[in-house]
Amino acid sequence: MERWSHGPPKGGHYRCPLPVKGSRYTKLDVVESTGFMAFLQTIENLGFSQWVKQSGSLWAFPGILLMHTYGMAILVGVIAGIDLKILGLVPALPLAPMRKFFPLVWAAFWVNAITGTMLLMADASTKLTNPDFGVKMLCIVLAVITQRLIQTRVFGDPEIDRRPFQSQAKMLAAASLVCWLGAITAGRLLAYVGSATGL
Amino acid sequence: MIDFLSNTSHIHLLLNHVPTTAFTVALALFVIALFTGSETLKKTGFAMFFVIAAVSIATYTSGSAAEAWLRGAGTASALPAHVLSDVIREHEDAALWATVLMAVTGFFSWLALWQSKTVRKLPSWSVPLVLVLALLSFAAMSRTAYLGGHINHVEIRPDVVAVHKACEAILDEATKRPGSIPDAPEGCPWQSAVDEVAKATGTPPPHTSTARALGDFVIGHTWMWPTLETLHFVGLSLLFTTVLIVNLRLLGMIKVVPYAAVYQLLPIGMLGFAINLVTGMLFFVGIPSQYNANPVFYWKIVFVLLAGLNTTYFMLADDAWRARAGQSAPPRARVAAASAIFIWLAVLYCGHMLPFIGNAF
Repeated sequence: MERWSHGPPKGGHYRCPLPVKGSRYTKLDVVESTGFMAFLQTIENLGFSQWVKQSGSLWAFPGILLMHTYGMAILVGVIAGIDLKILGLVPALPLAPMRKFFPLVWAAFWVNAITGTMLLMADASTKLTNPDFGVKMLCIVLAVITQRLIQTRVFGDPEIDRRPFQSQAKMLAAASLVCWLGAITAGRLLAYVGSATGL
Repeated sequence: MIDFLSNTSHIHLLLNHVPTTAFTVALALFVIALFTGSETLKKTGFAMFFVIAAVSIATYTSGSAAEAWLRGAGTASALPAHVLSDVIREHEDAALWATVLMAVTGFFSWLALWQSKTVRKLPSWSVPLVLVLALLSFAAMSRTAYLGGHINHVEIRPDVVAVHKACEAILDEATKRPGSIPDAPEGCPWQSAVDEVAKATGTPPPHTSTARALGDFVIGHTWMWPTLETLHFVGLSLLFTTVLIVNLRLLGMIKVVPYAAVYQLLPIGMLGFAINLVTGMLFFVGIPSQYNANPVFYWKIVFVLLAGLNTTYFMLADDAWRARAGQSAPPRARVAAASAIFIWLAVLYCGHMLPFIGNAF
């Protein structure tokens, strides 16, 4: 219960008098001297970060993560629908009117960017040193670029819905699905891979 | 009423009659439909199979809570003397297979109804396939109910019945040859009967539980849980593809698109739900104790059942189809569309809150 509240103790390694060999405390001691790590520690020790991680309030970690999940469902849900349409799965659905969903898609994206940043602040030194977090960010950057390309090239085509999709459009749709699948997978694995704190 | 709410075993006792009794009605309707050729009756049968499949999920999950109640709270939990653990395990295995079969029957019933809307009649594969699946599910559900009865009704449990028969035989023998049993007993010489039966049948092998073996597989491999969680997220995204695009269309978002066009998205949502049903069942079978005493889980199942009813409305009613290109959906369809979005957001909320409000993990 309340697995998420059992993060590293307040103040991280500073309060650990006897660093256990091989534990994350010793590891942190090694990298402590670099300015970047100290910076991440400072972020983690901010009042807001501490509230997110340790307050136990349903509005803190659980609520922010809930918004992140809702955002994901809307963002990936709608984009996957558009991608599958371009790949030929929903022949009767015209693509052009689907552009009306873009504001919803980007709103969901920004909700997730903001809630994601909040979650990152609470666990900065762990997440930002986890290669899996880099994989997630790479997937999202590629997915966003792909989405921009789909919006400009596929939706910008004056012949949209009047001729079959070009192979380039299908490549973009497939790439979009792969990137979002990668982002979801890497995101979920953040709780398990590397020095996971359970956040 | 207070007792009903506080003791969750009642939920299992209430629900466990649905897969057999409601199923009998549904099968009867379906067979009558076959003879009369009535499309409406066939569709009613399909819809009933779909709803029963949804209820079966709740029936299965509530069974685990009933067992937890029977075992009592605390670390020294133990079953009442007359209840055998193996009998529960056997019932659980039968229930797992029956629920899987029922879910498959529900899926194909839904698919038949889905197709019937576009081609204006039921597809030819649907009736024979669903009939076979329904008969198999019914057999599996009946067997589950029979084995479930053995948990508390010792009077029908085969081992107890055998001892009773042995008792009668011993007493018969005693009346035929007076003096063959010293101090001819008033009632049954129970221990002699038990010994007699044990001599005849030998010690039965302990029941190897499929459900527990599956559960041990899920929790015994570190890669299993993260993989299932990731798939559960992929499934919910696919589910939301359909939930959002179809229902927002009915609420007037992309009015130029006719309902008939977004209707093609429904199988994507059903695929997402299927992924999440399978992964969700594996979570449950893995660590039932995380869910069977978790109030958020109960709400999640309630909302899944409501989602099942919402889906059934869209499969049976033609309201939404009046939303042709450029036209608004009738009010009833709009209410159903708004409820669908609310219900699925609630399912997501409950799933997300399992560890935070409830006791999961």
